[in-house]
Order: sequence, then C-alpha cells, then structure tokens
Amino acid sequence: MTSAIEITGLSHYYNKGTPNEVAAIKNANLRIEKGELVAIIGHTGSGKSTLISHFNGLLKPDEGKVFVDGKDIWQSKESLRESRFKVGLCFQYPEYQLFEDTVFKDIAFGPKNMKLDDEEVKRRVLRAAQLAGVKPEHLDKSPFDLSGGEKRRAAIAGVMSMQPQVLVFDEPAAGLDPHARKQLIDMIKSYREQTGCTVIFVSHSMEDVAYLADRIIVINQAEIAMQGSVSEVFSRGDELTSMGLNVPEITRIFLMLREKGYDVPKDVYTVGQAVPHIKRLMEGGRAI
Amino acid sequence: MISGMIMDEKIIEFNNVTFMYDAEDEETGVVSAPAVKGITLAINRGEFMAVLGRNGSGKSTLAKLCNAIYEPYEGDVIVEGMNTREEENGDKIRRKVGMVFQNPDNQIVATIVEDDVAFGPENLGIEPKEIRRRVDEALKSVNMYEHRLRQPHNLSGGQKQRVAIAGVLAMQTDCIVLDEPTAMLDPVGRAEVLQTVKRLNKELGITVIMVTHFMDEAVEADRVVVMSSGEVVMDGTPQQVFSDIEKVRAYGLDVPQSTALCAALSIKENVLNAQQCVDVIDRICGGVK
Amino acid sequence: MISDITIGQYYSGNSVLHRMDARMKLILTFASIVAIFLCKNFFSLGLMVIFTVAATLLSCVPAKMVIKSLKPIIVILIFTAVLNIFYTTGGDTYFKWKFIEITEEGVNTAIFMAIRIVSLVVLSSLLTYTTTPTLLTDALERILSPLKVFKIKVHTLAMMMTLALRFIPTLIEEINRIMNAQKARGADLETGGIVARAKALIPIFIPLMISSFRRAYELAFAMTCRGYTGGEGRTRMKQMKLRVSDFIACAVVCALVGGIIALNIYFEAVI
Repeated sequence: MTSAIEITGLSHYYNKGTPNEVAAIKNANLRIEKGELVAIIGHTGSGKSTLISHFNGLLKPDEGKVFVDGKDIWQSKESLRESRFKVGLCFQYPEYQLFEDTVFKDIAFGPKNMKLDDEEVKRRVLRAAQLAGVKPEHLDKSPFDLSGGEKRRAAIAGVMSMQPQVLVFDEPAAGLDPHARKQLIDMIKSYREQTGCTVIFVSHSMEDVAYLADRIIVINQAEIAMQGSVSEVFSRGDELTSMGLNVPEITRIFLMLREKGYDVPKDVYTVGQAVPHIKRLMEGGRAI
Repeated sequence: MISGMIMDEKIIEFNNVTFMYDAEDEETGVVSAPAVKGITLAINRGEFMAVLGRNGSGKSTLAKLCNAIYEPYEGDVIVEGMNTREEENGDKIRRKVGMVFQNPDNQIVATIVEDDVAFGPENLGIEPKEIRRRVDEALKSVNMYEHRLRQPHNLSGGQKQRVAIAGVLAMQTDCIVLDEPTAMLDPVGRAEVLQTVKRLNKELGITVIMVTHFMDEAVEADRVVVMSSGEVVMDGTPQQVFSDIEKVRAYGLDVPQSTALCAALSIKENVLNAQQCVDVIDRICGGVK
Repeated sequence: MISDITIGQYYSGNSVLHRMDARMKLILTFASIVAIFLCKNFFSLGLMVIFTVAATLLSCVPAKMVIKSLKPIIVILIFTAVLNIFYTTGGDTYFKWKFIEITEEGVNTAIFMAIRIVSLVVLSSLLTYTTTPTLLTDALERILSPLKVFKIKVHTLAMMMTLALRFIPTLIEEINRIMNAQKARGADLETGGIVARAKALIPIFIPLMISSFRRAYELAFAMTCRGYTGGEGRTRMKQMKLRVSDFIACAVVCALVGGIIALNIYFEAVI
C-alpha cells in the first residue's frame, strides 16, 4: 500500500544563493501512512510550518521529493493541482480566511474550485458542516456574525469540504478557551473516526498531543529530531526540554517520581493512566 | 503573598458595574445581553490577579473598564479615587493604569523598539532626558535592552509582548492590565511574558491584572477571579479556586493536571503544579526505602 | 518576497550620514535630487555621480544593499532607456533598419536618463538607510510645521506615515498568509484572463480588509491607552540639533549645485 505522504531528502532554504541563506528544513525523510493521526511538535521557527507547506505543494522543495498517495507532486501541473485537493491544509487562525457572505458559500469555495457540479458541492458542504460541528442554522448566516469558536469551525469545514485524503492542521486550537479547545480536539478525533482519513496536526499543547496522536514527529532546528509513538517520544522528556519543548504535566510528575527512585513507568501522559500507578504506590505495593 | 507591602489599599474598585456594547460596536454581532453585569470587585495595590473565564464571559470587557476606555452603563469604576465616568479623569487614569493586549502586532506604533517604548512618555509630555532614562530602564527590566534598535516585525511574539510591557512601564503606571497577553504565543514566549509579569509584580510592586485562558499561568497569581456570563462567580487564592474542580469545570475551565490527579486520588491537599504533586505523593508514600 | 522591499528599511550604523540631523539630511537629499535634474551635460552629470558615490561610501552602507535597492526599478530603467534610444533622434545615425533608427542623441539621452534615475534612487535610499523612519517622519513634521498656520494637520500626517511604515511588513505577511490559505482551498491565482484574475483576488482582498480594520481599531485603542491625544503637548525622546557637520554637509551640497551650474555653462549641453 502506498503511504499517504512520503518525503525524501527534503530541504528548503530561505534567501537561497545569498550569504543570508538559512535552511528552513534540511534533509527531512518521513512517511505518513494512510489513516494515521500524527502530531508534529517543535518550537517556533523550528521549520514545522515550512514542512507542512510542502505537503500540498505551497512551497517547492529546493532538494528532495514529495509524494502524495505515491505520486510525485512536482511531476506536472496536474499532479500539483491534484495534491492541493488531496491534502487539505488548515492554517493557524483559519477564521481569518473567511470571505463569502454566507457560511454555506464559504465552505463551498474549495469544492467549487474543484469544478464539481452543484449537487455534489451541496452534498459536500453539508457533510463538512456536520463533521466540523457547524450548526445547520448557521449555514445561511454571514460568517462574520458567528462567535470566534464558530468561525473557526466554519473555516475548518471549508477545508474538510474538499474531502482531502489527508487533513493537516496548524495549531487548530490556538487562542481558544479550555472548553472550546476540548471540543475542537474532540471534533478532530471524531473526524478521523468517521472518515478514516489521515490527520496531521501541529501543536504546542503536549496535553492535546498526548490525547490525540498515534505518533509524534519532533522537529528541531530545521531537522527531524525524533519520530515515534507517543510513549516513546514523551519518555525522552529531557531531550524534549532541551529543544524548548515540554512534556505533559503528568509525564513530568512521573519522570520526577522516577528520579526520586519510585518504580513508575515513564510513558504515562494522561490523568486516567496515572491514577492506578500512584494508587499502587500509595498502597505500598511498590516493587523494586 | 507580597512581603512588606500594604495589601488592603484598594487601587481599583468596581461598584455594581454593568456594561453593554452597542449594536454596531461589537464584532461578534451578538449584542442583547450585557457583557458584564452587576460586578462588585476591589483590586488591592500590589496584587497579582488573574481573571479566568470562557470566551465571551466578559473578562476582556472587565479589563477594558479598568482604564476608562469603556464607561460603565451602570455603577462606577473608581481608579485611585477617580471615577472613570468623568471625562477629565480619562488621561489621569491612563497614567495610573496601563494596558497590554492580545495581539502584539496591533499595539506597537513605531518602527524601532526604543521609539515605541518612548511613545507613551512622549504623549505625557515628559522631558526628553527623563524619557530616555525611563525607556532604557523599562527595556532593561523586560530584558529587551539589547534589542532596543531592532525593528518590531523581526522580533518573536514573546519579545514583542515584552516591548509592549516596557511601553507601559515607561509611563510608570501603578497598575498594568494584560488582556490575554499570551494567547498568540508559543510556550517559550508564554514563559518569557509570565516571568516578566511576575517579576514586575514582586520586584517593582506593580499591581497586575492578567486575563488568561491558561490555568498554569493563573496558578502563579495571588488571586484568581473566574467570570461566567458577565458575572464574577469565583474569587479567591488559586488554592481555593482550583480545589473546587467540579465548579471550575462547570464554568468551561480546567484545572492543572496535577490538581486533577490529586483529586482523582482523593488527596485532600491543594496541589497546583508538578513539584507540589510529587512532594505530596512522596510524603504519603513515605519516600523510597 | 518580503525581503525584497528595501526602500524604507533602516540599516543601523554610526556613520557620518547616520549621525547627521535628519532635517538637514531630508532637505539636502531633496536639494541633491533637484541637482540631478539641473545637469545638462556629461561633465556636470559626472560631478553628480562622484557626489553620489562619495555619499554612498560615507554612509558605510554595504554596496550590495544599495544595489539591491535598485532591483525594483530595473524594469522602469530598461523601459525608459529603450524608449529614449528609439524615440529621440538627432545627431549621427548609428543604426538604421526600416523605421528603426538609433542616433547619437538617442543613445546619449538613454544613458543620461539611466544615470539620473539610478542616482535618484541611490540618494533617496541612502536617506532611508541612514535614518530611522521615526526620525524621518519626525523631521518631516518639524520641517513642515510652519504649514500649521494654514491649518494643515502636520502632526497627523506624520503619524499616519509612521504607522504606514510600521504596518507595511505586517500587512505583507498577512497577504502571504491569506494567499496561502486560499491556495490551499484550490484558489487559482495564476491563470485566466483579467476578469478571472480580478475575481480571484476577492477571497484575498476581503479577509485583508476585515483584518486591517480590526487592526486599525485595536491600534487606535492601544494608542489611546498609551495616552495619545494628538500632537498637542507631546515631547520627543530624540531631540534634533544642528551641528557643525550638518553645516559642512550643507556647504558641500551648495558647492555641488554651484559646480553643476558652472559646468553646465562652460560645456555644451547634450540634453
């Protein structure tokens, strides 16, 4: 089976050919399988955004290749355009891209660009609205009359309506309050469950990463520093800290307990997972 | 708590304050309900107060009522004895209470960092030499002095916010109100801003009112106020507020994971961060033999 | 891309030009630009070129940056040169084919105009390279302040300029961001006729307008909070004081203008 996205030897430079040349991403190799939910983490300026902008050909690699669904996207104009629809990219603060006079029309912008017939466009808009949690009564409203969280959902629906095989989110919950944040993260989770599509998301919130992701890719100083399952990556807490990243608070507690000599695993990252371990400690069932 | 400082002098008082946006003003478009209603609240001098609440709970409005930008619909806001309703007080109040906003890009006026910090004192008509001194001092206290000649658009989000804070410091206000200053920042920028704010509060004794979404920032405050539907629904120390997990969650907020873990283990103590959590567990288990 | 816009970008340094009074610099730059157009022959133009090169060297701005500032005008430069070569006729004919004719005067005018445009751009970029935008608008405000008599709001104009300069990079970033977001939704900005392309700009233009209004609103709010009430009663951190070096510079530019006029009289005009 082909991978959803495969990247080989990818490098991208800013100010190429000048003395100020800096690598935004260098020699990146990665493979994201169909149906995976992958988190990309890294501090600001590490190259995360540059990397994801290559997934749908918004940026052209200076070196290396990008394959979407097994196809080299830079092979031809058609393959490039196809990649735009196969990989949906949802940027940070997507509500700032809304422009139509109704939510429905805005969500329809992508499918219309795909030159689908009206019937299909409508079908996709309704499906996307449902997946993104846009209330049906909002579809005929102006997007600018919605609240912040509702605007965000409408904008996300505008990407989902292209029915991409891969959906990429850059900081989907940035700026939302904890409740709205939780709802949005749950929405992404149920989107994956309902559609089975590949989802990639960039996040600074390690709690969200722990809750959502199957696998984590860590970017540091323009390079892929780590790749692995959530527990593998979070168990290397010290390395993450040295990259200006964090681990979830629970993981930090467990790492601190280990330092004190307690026998607890280092791949615990949610409150639910943590409770039985601490209970065991408190009951004195501490096996050394 | 702050040592050696009188905490019971009130710097800002809200007396039964109600405020509503008029129809064409608010970007959300929803206008009928008041943004804040019947708020009575006193902020003490030297206090670090965090304001929590969901989007639309009225916390931003509360912040903007503090320095006479908004005038209450009902009730009074008194800043150091001056009523914000009286127009001639506006300028005087803004010399006492400075504001820092969420989007760092939309509050920086000048194209060079130090010129921006000078903007406030220049408006106040301060002597040029004195402005220079204040600007240098303000930039040093937010650790941005070495960046004073850079252009704001080349700075990181955390650095921009620190410049904005320096801009308020240079006006030598007694109180600084920050409206979600870290919402658009990454964890590094958030930590920079929080450290700066804490230091200003502890070392310079500046009263801080900080609106935030982040529980880990709120636990650093002396006092936490939770708002919901325009009303103050919880008010106390972080320990007091976060000990009532059910209530906090009901208002659409969360508690730090450490607090949640201890609650799940039925540990009665008030734990707010990882270190405290580890200490409590260590004590209960009696250490490793 | 963003980094290509160099006009209006300050190059921090401490050269003689950097230390000059911004008002004097502004006036002298204006005077020397006028001088460029006084030149009537290659001798006076040569003097102008020497002045421009000397000023560049004095500024300590790397030659590469100065050359970079010429990049945006290359098209205009080539365009005017070509126009001049073909449309100005007179003197010896160098080349003739059907209706195309290249003459001595055409070539002279082309070279002359090219040098004029280059000096003009170099001198004005030197001004912006060596003066912070704040100082520049400040200087403009002070120079124009006599206009207050005519009820012209000089301070407001200067503040508008400062804010425009401040927000240019922010808005360019914003445009890039919106363009990428719409491209990711399959917006086609590159192909199609004029109408199609103009239509394709709507999804970019509307979000840009909305966010600009939001910015303006927030900025006005922030400025009020920082005690801004207009130009009345404001002081300035950076004072402006004329020094000996400013008067020397003034004398140099006067000499330049005098020299150009003298050379114009002494030698035959070519333009």
